[in-house]
Amino acid sequence: MGDSQYSFSLTTFSPSGKLVQIEHALMAVGSGQTSLGIKATNGVVVATEKKLPSILVDETSVQKIQLMTPNIGVVYSGMGPDSRVLVRKSRKQAQQYFRLYKETIPVTQLVRETATVMQEFTQSGGVRPFGVSLLIAGYDDNGPQLYQVDPSGSYFSWKASAMGKNVSNAKTFLEKRYTEVMELEDAIHTAILTLKEGFEGQISGKNIEIGIIGTDRQFRVLSSSEIDDYLAEVE
Amino acid sequence: MGRMTELPTKGGFSFDLCTRNDMLLKNGLQMPPFRKTGTTIVGLVFQDGVVLGADTRATEGPIVADKNFEKIHFMAPNIYCCGAGTAADTEAVTDMVSSQLQLHRYATGRESRVVTALTLLKSHLFSYQGHVSAALVLGGFDVTGPHLHTVYPHGSTDTLPFATMGSGSLAAMSVFESKYREGLTREEGIELVAEAICAGIFNDLGSGSNVDVCVITEGKTEYLRNYQLPNPRTYISSKGYTFVKGQTEVLSTKITSIQPKVEAVEGGDAMEE
Repeated sequence: MGDSQYSFSLTTFSPSGKLVQIEHALMAVGSGQTSLGIKATNGVVVATEKKLPSILVDETSVQKIQLMTPNIGVVYSGMGPDSRVLVRKSRKQAQQYFRLYKETIPVTQLVRETATVMQEFTQSGGVRPFGVSLLIAGYDDNGPQLYQVDPSGSYFSWKASAMGKNVSNAKTFLEKRYTEVMELEDAIHTAILTLKEGFEGQISGKNIEIGIIGTDRQFRVLSSSEIDDYLAEVE
Repeated sequence: MGRMTELPTKGGFSFDLCTRNDMLLKNGLQMPPFRKTGTTIVGLVFQDGVVLGADTRATEGPIVADKNFEKIHFMAPNIYCCGAGTAADTEAVTDMVSSQLQLHRYATGRESRVVTALTLLKSHLFSYQGHVSAALVLGGFDVTGPHLHTVYPHGSTDTLPFATMGSGSLAAMSVFESKYREGLTREEGIELVAEAICAGIFNDLGSGSNVDVCVITEGKTEYLRNYQLPNPRTYISSKGYTFVKGQTEVLSTKITSIQPKVEAVEGGDAMEE
């Protein structure tokens, strides 16, 4: 790559105007496990593959989908430990917002704060960008919302999006299947079908994770038996 | 260069301003009175959990600043805290610990424990050497059962089956000492707490107005705001008030005419874009 002379330092632009480290971070995301999110009329669903490195790993100890506030959840593609750091920081920021305004933080504000943290790590010395893209799903007074945040710190609102290994197939599938009038239950089925598209091996409640939020505004991660029920409906 | 690591917080009270404060007092500065909560706050353990109670009067010296102040603060869905002392201090410290407990719940994935709240409160109060004037009755129900603690402004704590704090604590404690026994039912517990708070309301000047009660049991919390209203306002005249012209005595009259209008002059250079 002609830019390789400029690819060692995060804070140096290459002649073509790129920060090559951020491109590399996006590659790290692109080789991570597939995850996706779909916004329905009455809620949001996020889902991800949960392929464990060995059958000896206790899958009940791993949870990829996390809560940031009772009404905002997040899933990632890329480096798990990086996502843990971001989730921790975002939780703290949500609490600080509540302490100041005595109101729960709106989804857009939390996304903006998380994106700001990710951007800071692209313009500081001695640090590297986060190797994750996040899908943030929430339900507040502005209704259901789905945002994607990239290692560069840019964020977009999506009706449906996918990240990770199988991203192009998944996005094509979602483009075909997505409708504006989709309800949460349909969205969950569509999410499962999308994951199934690129899934190697037998899909079950133990090797995927699904998080949903509905009009009750309580984000929750489905149990593996609930996922198995949905899988049976989809067959 | 961005801030990479957060500096460890310096512990203890910062004494930087103490000499300046002493100097101001010597020069005759009148410190503004703190809004204190006077207060009667109580808690007791009954067979299924804990009951917390509080009065609702907030005082500023001899003046009642708030007739229906909430003294039972939320810490966690299964933990509540009554606060006596300086109102701002009790509000701020309970809000802060409540926030920390929420973050802790996310990090551990478990329901908060009363001893966690207790430790966070006492470490904070101790590091401020008693200058944070918050005297608290902390109660809740967690996986290890019902708990009741008192926390003093300097950071010491007690673990008790029944407790009272505030200026009305002696009045309330007399009720508890004569009537408390182990294995009270829920109704008996609530009645006893209400009686103790009423003792404070009627016998202590710093406490008054209404009784707030909070019942915490396994998996369920009931916040009974204004459980009793023993001091209703009974003197409102239904006819309203009329004020006849001339009723107020005129002591002196001074008439000042309004200044003539000032002309605004157009022109001058426009601001730089």
